[in-house]
Amino acid sequence: MKHVYPALLALFSLFFGFASYGQQAEKTVTGTFTHLPFEQLVRQVEAQTSYKVYFDPAVVDSLFVTLDARAWPVQAVFYQALQNTVFKFAIDDEHRVFVTKDVAINPALADDFYQTRTTAAVAAEETEPTGPSGRSHLVSVSEYKVYTIGTGGSGASRVTLAGHIRDQKSGEPVIGASIYSESPNIGASTDQFGSFSLTMPPGRYDLKIRGVGIKNTKRQVVLQGNGKLEIEVEEDIVTLKEVVVEAEKDKNVSGMQMGVEKLDIKTMRQVPTAFGETDILRVVMTLPGVKTVGEGSTGLNVRGGATDQNLILFNDATIYNPSHLFGFFSAFNPDILQGVELYKSAIPAKYGGRLSSVLDITTREGNKKKIGGSGGIGPLTSRLTLEGPLVKDKSSFIVSGRASYSDWILKQLDDKNFAQSSAAFYDITAHISHEINDKNSIYATGYFSSDRFRLASDTSYHYTNQTATLKWRHNFTNQLYGVLTGTYSHYDYDVTSQNNPVTASQLKYAINQGGLRADFSYFPNSRHTVDFGVSSQLYVIDPGSLLPRGEASLIRPDVLGQERGLESALYVSDRFDITPRFSVSAGLRYSLFQALGPRSVYQYAPGESRSEASITDTVSYGSNKVLATYHGPEYRLSARYSLNDHSSVKASYTRTRQYIHQLSNTASVSPTDVWKLSDNNIRPQVGDQYSVGYYRNFKNNTIETSVETYYKTLNDFVDYKSGATLVLNHHIETDIINAQGKAYGVEVFVKKLTGKLNGWVGYTYSRSLVQVNAAVTEDMVNGGTYYPSNFDKPHDFNLVGNYRFSRRFSTSLNFNYSTGRPITLPLAKYYIGNSLRVLYSDRNAYRVPDYLRLDLAINIEGSHKVKKLAHSSWTVGVYNLTGRRNPYSVYFKSVNGQIKGYQLSIFGNPIPTVTYNFKF
Amino acid sequence: MRTFTFPVRWAFLSVLALWLAGCTDPYMPDVITSPPSYLVVDGFINSQGVTTIKLSRTYAVASKAAVPVETRATVYIEDEAGTRQLLTESSVKGTYASVAHTLNTARKYRLHINTLAGREYVSDYVPVKTTPPIDSLPWRTDNNGLSIYVNAHDATNATQYYRWEYVETWEINPIYRPSVEYVNNRMRDIVVPYPSICWGNAASTIIQIDKTTALTQDIVSDFRLRLLPINSDLLNSQYSILVQQYALTREEYAYWELLRKNTESIGSLFDPQPAQLTGNVHCISSPDEITLGFIGAHSLSQRRIFIRRQDLPANWRPRTGYESCMPPDSVFIDRPAPPPPNPAFILQGAFAGGAFLPIEELYSQRGVLIGYTAKSKDCIDCRTRGTSVKPSFWP
Repeated sequence: MKHVYPALLALFSLFFGFASYGQQAEKTVTGTFTHLPFEQLVRQVEAQTSYKVYFDPAVVDSLFVTLDARAWPVQAVFYQALQNTVFKFAIDDEHRVFVTKDVAINPALADDFYQTRTTAAVAAEETEPTGPSGRSHLVSVSEYKVYTIGTGGSGASRVTLAGHIRDQKSGEPVIGASIYSESPNIGASTDQFGSFSLTMPPGRYDLKIRGVGIKNTKRQVVLQGNGKLEIEVEEDIVTLKEVVVEAEKDKNVSGMQMGVEKLDIKTMRQVPTAFGETDILRVVMTLPGVKTVGEGSTGLNVRGGATDQNLILFNDATIYNPSHLFGFFSAFNPDILQGVELYKSAIPAKYGGRLSSVLDITTREGNKKKIGGSGGIGPLTSRLTLEGPLVKDKSSFIVSGRASYSDWILKQLDDKNFAQSSAAFYDITAHISHEINDKNSIYATGYFSSDRFRLASDTSYHYTNQTATLKWRHNFTNQLYGVLTGTYSHYDYDVTSQNNPVTASQLKYAINQGGLRADFSYFPNSRHTVDFGVSSQLYVIDPGSLLPRGEASLIRPDVLGQERGLESALYVSDRFDITPRFSVSAGLRYSLFQALGPRSVYQYAPGESRSEASITDTVSYGSNKVLATYHGPEYRLSARYSLNDHSSVKASYTRTRQYIHQLSNTASVSPTDVWKLSDNNIRPQVGDQYSVGYYRNFKNNTIETSVETYYKTLNDFVDYKSGATLVLNHHIETDIINAQGKAYGVEVFVKKLTGKLNGWVGYTYSRSLVQVNAAVTEDMVNGGTYYPSNFDKPHDFNLVGNYRFSRRFSTSLNFNYSTGRPITLPLAKYYIGNSLRVLYSDRNAYRVPDYLRLDLAINIEGSHKVKKLAHSSWTVGVYNLTGRRNPYSVYFKSVNGQIKGYQLSIFGNPIPTVTYNFKF
Repeated sequence: MRTFTFPVRWAFLSVLALWLAGCTDPYMPDVITSPPSYLVVDGFINSQGVTTIKLSRTYAVASKAAVPVETRATVYIEDEAGTRQLLTESSVKGTYASVAHTLNTARKYRLHINTLAGREYVSDYVPVKTTPPIDSLPWRTDNNGLSIYVNAHDATNATQYYRWEYVETWEINPIYRPSVEYVNNRMRDIVVPYPSICWGNAASTIIQIDKTTALTQDIVSDFRLRLLPINSDLLNSQYSILVQQYALTREEYAYWELLRKNTESIGSLFDPQPAQLTGNVHCISSPDEITLGFIGAHSLSQRRIFIRRQDLPANWRPRTGYESCMPPDSVFIDRPAPPPPNPAFILQGAFAGGAFLPIEELYSQRGVLIGYTAKSKDCIDCRTRGTSVKPSFWP
């Protein structure tokens, strides 16, 4: 043993670096080594240069070296010699070479090692002799450069590093990427603006950067004080290996969140769909705990919640109808989307207003460097996107539109029913981002969608969604930033009938929502992350009007009075890492709802079934007078305990309150559903959810598994009396009953993130039960006992798999099985009114046949030449490959006095599709 | 809101399903093995005339048997003061009728039933509504066919909720006039010719209701009751429709509306959930027992119109209803196949059952009887499709 270094190792073991290099040596090494022991190389180096080499002979005794050095610098020699071995080396500025096994030591001393020293042991900027091939020069230079942040001498025990992660080519922020140091284990992930903030002790770190759709990279920093670091990363063009639900590899285990699913648009593109177009909601439905009542419905049922209990946010603005064409398309154009996050259980305190889930959909930013575009041509729709800089590197725009040509197809079909029908939709989204300076950025988004259809009749339907978002982000300090957001959402529909002049009329409904919110994030130190904020939103609803059309119409104008309400909330939450293994996040949101005048409200006799006959009084309220106030705390608690490096246990408790209710007497979401605010007669819904989960990663975090179980109670959600009238009802409360619900389940999820074969498998066992136990017997459903909800499907199995044959050719498979949904069956028949009629069973007492579907898609990418006019790809798919006739619905009809049962399958055969996508 | 019913969406899905090569398959699950047998009360208390009530039972959906009737029950109308009026079971089992009577519109009435099994049922007390007359029954033709509308009004704005039923009657003209008949195993010249005209008769099976609460006046304007396609055999010669109008209370209207929703458009995702629909009849002796039916009290007004073939567009070609009966079959008795079957044996085999009738003799070119033309009874005897007794109202 020539040199012994255990003491040194102990000293420096505080910091582990991947590799670091000493100063450029003046002397070089020349010599030829053919399978010679490592110690011979050491002798040569020490003979030819002033370098001293430190190593453990026992460790290197089986290391043999083959190289032919001709005046190579010392680091090149060691790089070459130790390439493809488990050994690492480090060189300090005193010409000492440290060779170690597995981990390199960091020869630099911590900044505060000598209090007087102000210049750190920073290596000169230097590029690696042979960088990894195929990487952009810029990025690889950045990887091996050591950045010195801040000025030392402040004596602070903790400093904050903040900055942004951006795409090197387009300048777009990278959202949800993680930046972390492995030792000590400190990390953060970028927010929707691509910004991050890390607080750690001063010293030298290797910061690793990982994210979906970007190439893994790292930055070497020496932290001396508070400072900024702007990071540009390369897009990972072939993203098939990144079927990633969570960006951070070990987030499944080490992250605080539970019941969160994060999907990136590139992942979603691989899931086959019926019409060849990426459908964000349809992919979300493959996740455990998310169900839908039927094939053509985008109504989500998350963990036993109703379809109106999901807060669907599109760049922070609420979307009220997320579907086109009765739910066969989702309302979001895939080209402009960045990704989607679904919170199923531990909903952050920032969000509120819905009981079951938050679906946060974000658009991407336009290319900040050059003008570009993309598009797609599918069997029913086409889309086009344009993007580019407004001010280079500072601001960008992206505009995307999509339109259907189903109307044209309907016209081509030689059938009377088709000829009298029409169905068309389009949507357009625009997003602008501008960076004013280091501390201020603004973002603006606009969205408009429209649907119009007429179906073999004289009645035409039309609905639109509009949203606008304006955001201003301000960094107060590295540890505190705030976002001020203004949002506007609008949804309306109208139904027009004009064949009979006497009854020609138009029915209209509209909801407007304006909101303002301020959100702050504060990072006092590495163990605390504090979020707080305040929000307020005003609802203005025109609940319905029926107006005559034309002179001859005898329709009496019927306009329901406007409804107004103000929902406000305050929240604060703190994530506290008590020990590296145990963290808690405690949040409290306090929400307040005020129903506002002008309005007249009915009062009903207590203890009686509400009806027109039981109205006792009518009370009028003036403009902006508060007619009802509801408020209450919403607790958001979660905790994580790491059992070891690859497994953890998490638990959460969440309470949510909802003040706006969707009225729909049909089993799924339909465009003519109306939204109603809480008032004197309609109480808010309150939900509680308890959730516990076990998380474990296998094979170096490439396989993530989790088991989550939950129990949930839902109070006062809206159910309907039999045959309720929901449209133009002046006393809707007489047709509504308050129902109680409970839901529980276990979700098992396995994800494989990398490799040629990747994807996820989820199995859910869950129940969702409803009870209508009104005080009045007539109002009870099923005698006041618990019965299965419309979306109670106990067994649910989903598999999304991808296999990559080559960089240009891959296949995707989607398999879905679930128990059939509950149905109310006809039990007997009887004769009344000259016809046979049906007597139905208790509500939802039986089930339709089980659902099973298999889809297959093949993605063929164009050539990967970086410089060419347009990149294109083809997607060829078959939806419902087995052609199984899954019942979309089961119904019974009395035809000519005979009762017959039918099951309708929308996709009764395999549906082939071809879509062409391009990008320029 | 009649103009905004959900079947439109249903239509959309059907169209879509068709287009996507989707399909509709029969669905009859076998979970319905032992259906409950609940009492069904059908009818209304007629405030000006004869009250007719039908009592029956619920039975299995898949059953092909006749409706099980509830016979030998004691049925009476009673008012709040306890005054009773008995309904007696007519010759049709399960049908109970009163004598003609006029009820006091200031009182409320209900139906009281005691079954043979000893159970007691009552309907809720209901007010008496007087039905306004039908103003007119206009009809119009277009490319879709013949539409028949109803117009009515109530100047006092008291009716508002309407229900209609109709009975259609039409002439049937068979295309064959048999000259022979097969009686007692013998072919002979016909003695009593088959009727050359019959009258078909059918009652409406669809629930037709309308309300005028959304209008400023209590006027029913051109509510379409019936659409007959251009080629309907009902229009072949002369057609008549008798429309019966009933004024309903809001509750009774709601019951019929729900009944219509339940049995005429149910089950697609966009349709409302089927409701547990019972009505206003309750079992006193066993409150948990479900009883079906809604007994309202109101009068009845009716109106009849006739539509003749010559009133319809000349280019319409209504079916005779006997299209499938052309051409006639032949029964040959002279087949030279060894051993030659006995002609009597051939005729017996063909006509003895009575389901197949001879029409006329068939002769060879040399004038030898070689057989008979023949067709099924339904093609020849129009009494299988109606009555040969001319209705009293027929012109």
